[in-house]
Amino acid sequence: MSSVEEVHRVTFTVRDAIRLGIDYIKRRFQRTIINVSSIALANSFLSSLILTDLFFKTYSQLETTSLSVEAYQYWLVFVALIVSIVGITNAMLIAVYERYNEIGTMKCIGALDQHIMMLFLVESSIQGLSGGVIGYILGVLAALVSTGMTTGFDIILKVPISTILFYFVGTTLLSGILSVIASLYPAWRASKLRPVEALRYEL
Amino acid sequence: MSYDTIIELRKLLRHYQMGDETVKALDGVDLEIKRGEYVSLVGPSGSGKTTLFNLIGGLDKPTNGSVFIDGVDIAQLDAYELAWLRCRKIGYIFQTFNLIQVLTALENVALPTVFAGIPREEGLKKAEKILKSVGLGDRLQHRPLELSAGQQQRVAIARALANDPAILLADEPTGNLDLNTGMEIIDLLHGLNKTRGLTLVAATHDLKMIKASDRIIWLRDGQVEKVERG
Ligand SMILES: Nc1ncnc2c1ncn2[C@@H]1O[C@H](COP(=O)(O)OP(=O)(O)OP(=O)(O)O)[C@@H](O)[C@H]1O
Ligand SMILES: [Mg+2]
Repeated sequence: MSSVEEVHRVTFTVRDAIRLGIDYIKRRFQRTIINVSSIALANSFLSSLILTDLFFKTYSQLETTSLSVEAYQYWLVFVALIVSIVGITNAMLIAVYERYNEIGTMKCIGALDQHIMMLFLVESSIQGLSGGVIGYILGVLAALVSTGMTTGFDIILKVPISTILFYFVGTTLLSGILSVIASLYPAWRASKLRPVEALRYEL
Repeated sequence: MSYDTIIELRKLLRHYQMGDETVKALDGVDLEIKRGEYVSLVGPSGSGKTTLFNLIGGLDKPTNGSVFIDGVDIAQLDAYELAWLRCRKIGYIFQTFNLIQVLTALENVALPTVFAGIPREEGLKKAEKILKSVGLGDRLQHRPLELSAGQQQRVAIARALANDPAILLADEPTGNLDLNTGMEIIDLLHGLNKTRGLTLVAATHDLKMIKASDRIIWLRDGQVEKVERG
């Protein structure tokens, strides 16, 4: 019985989804850039604040002065993150709409709902992670430029590299996760499309 | 488990509710199609050809009645089995080709083998072989937009063949092609039907396509009007 079931299963692994996702990203580069920059912007904002704070604190400890980031600035970051999520959701909905026909076609050649969903989520996580990396690099530079005048640019050498790496991993993961969350609804919509509806639709 | 009848339709109904009005896209179709047969679905626009194509292919669900593929009522299949049917048993060919634009011809043809669980290298090799057999051996790395309409339809046919289906379903496969290109596609499909014993069901307006078939089903207002031997 189980062997019969094995034979009657279609397969589509995360690796397949990543391969296809990368194809989409490469060949629809403009849309990708918009998504990636939106995440990069939000993360650069977040990480520049975190690092500014880190630089100030390190400096304060060394020089026994007191410098810190204002709390309201974190609220601004929060708003930036929300804006970026809404932007990604919107962009992903458009991507789903553009790909109606392809989603229908995929279902004709054996894709299940969860495969379509996986395809969109893999794509958005790749975008989220790369946006996160770019954003962090920009954030570090921004923090360095804004604090360097007061603390000296060598402040970056005085904070532990492990802390910088910790925030790198943390904010990059956060970017990836937020991007996936923002794409959940669009991906679900895409996966639920019935093949006839998807195929009837022509752009 | 080999039936002589590969497709069987029983009292097939597909109605659409449009406000107060019921559109009877299919209104009681009974039909048996034999393994290896080449059947043309013919009829005026709106007679229900595409609706029938969708129901046979498991892309849509009937309002009433049943579709049997190899003796199995496809309404009884779960999502996995239905996907398997679409992936392995049936090859779909559309008027608009429906290729994935971001993928090359080779990748398009190999895609169904991914869902069939065939290792990537093997799938690509198979796709190349099929593309060669439809005369596109020198267009493997081209994307759909870099190909002519006839070539795109060949890629679509190659994709439909990727998992060695038993049935080829085609909805106006020559509808977007000029006379000569259309003729080549018909020859290709007809050849596949004859040499590989593939069951071919094609909805068409194309007289040449109709002439090549074993049987012609005339549809009108969602019913079988008459059946002719080709
Ligand atoms: N989604 C739908 N909602 C409502 N009515 C529909 C829908 N799809 C098809 N119909 C109706 O069902 C009937 C049959 O349509 P179908 O597309 O099967 O015709 P066809 O024979 O393929 O026509 P053509 O030769 O123009 O492609 C038509 O009257 C059509 O308006
Ligand atoms: Mg039609």
